[in-house]
Amino acid sequence: MYAKEMVKQSLPLFIFCGLGAIVAGSTLGIMTNLLRELPGLIVIVPAIIALRGNISTAFGSRLGSAYHLGVIDVDNLWNEELKQNILGSLILSFLVSIIIGVLAYVTSLLVGVYPDPIKLIVIVIIAGVVSGIILTLMTIVIIYLVFRRGYDPDNITGPALATFGDIVTMLCLFGSALFVEVVL
Amino acid sequence: MIYSWKKIVKHGLPLLTITIFIEVFAGQILLGKQELLLLLPIFLISIPVINSIGGNIGSVLGARLASGLHVGYVGLSLKDKEMHDNFLMSLLIGFITYLILAIVIYFIASFGDLVEDIALIEFVAIIVFTGVLLLLIVSLVSVLTALISFKRGLDPDDMVAPVVTTLSDVLGITFLFFIIGVVGI
Repeated sequence: MYAKEMVKQSLPLFIFCGLGAIVAGSTLGIMTNLLRELPGLIVIVPAIIALRGNISTAFGSRLGSAYHLGVIDVDNLWNEELKQNILGSLILSFLVSIIIGVLAYVTSLLVGVYPDPIKLIVIVIIAGVVSGIILTLMTIVIIYLVFRRGYDPDNITGPALATFGDIVTMLCLFGSALFVEVVL
Repeated sequence: MIYSWKKIVKHGLPLLTITIFIEVFAGQILLGKQELLLLLPIFLISIPVINSIGGNIGSVLGARLASGLHVGYVGLSLKDKEMHDNFLMSLLIGFITYLILAIVIYFIASFGDLVEDIALIEFVAIIVFTGVLLLLIVSLVSVLTALISFKRGLDPDDMVAPVVTTLSDVLGITFLFFIIGVVGI
């Protein structure tokens, strides 16, 4: 039956993604003290998760296309095409992190909350760039494993990055906020 | 060489900036309700779950319709039978997913002593109502985005996912607080 097939194929994947999101949410759940001490920190949560999701899945799908076009393969992975992709993703992460920090600060002022602008922007930049580096490396490892098994990377990288992306991003945000709160 | 970092940045920046503006707006809704979230952190845990499931199911619906439109077994009309079936299946799968995950969240939160103020049935009802309401709107937007972009000669595969995931983030948070308000916690 058609409906039964759909449930059977997609439900496990949605549950799996949901479990990943629960890990990300639990990280947010243990950050309650930091959220209290750093007003405005909560504003950047949806934005930084979206930034990571957008940049990594685009990176993953570009590598998928590069594989289909034959410009990278398992024996010729670490080449100039891949390096340009990595550089582009990381610069994009850095620029958009700055925009998130500034925007979160300015909009908080509008609603009468006064965050520390330096702390807020530094937290986003560290979290955005560090999670970018980690997820870039993870993508390359995933792509390498997928190539070796001869699978189509387009079917694997999207869901895998969406699930791990949320977790890595929230952990980096937690670490970065903790670091900034202690050091600055 | 096909790729250059300058091109990647130049193509990515405009859409990302628009997305970020909307996401910061979602973040401001969270800031407005921060006190409630700090008192009941179980909802803090639930927010990424509500948003990501809404985005995922909406994107998959859009991708299925996009393939159907490309191949021709889905018609270019809101009255198409195949389209209705896909829409209803998204709601059903979403209902089951939110139900299961709400129970999992409640038990995880109970280990952290975060559930003193709320009963299992109450929490599950809030999450499932929020989720189904979210999917109703997100699936509708997913269908419309797929249809409109296909009609205009754009590839629905490029359009649906960014629109649907961003919308899910804003509406998921909005509907959660709406339902919490209706239930009256």
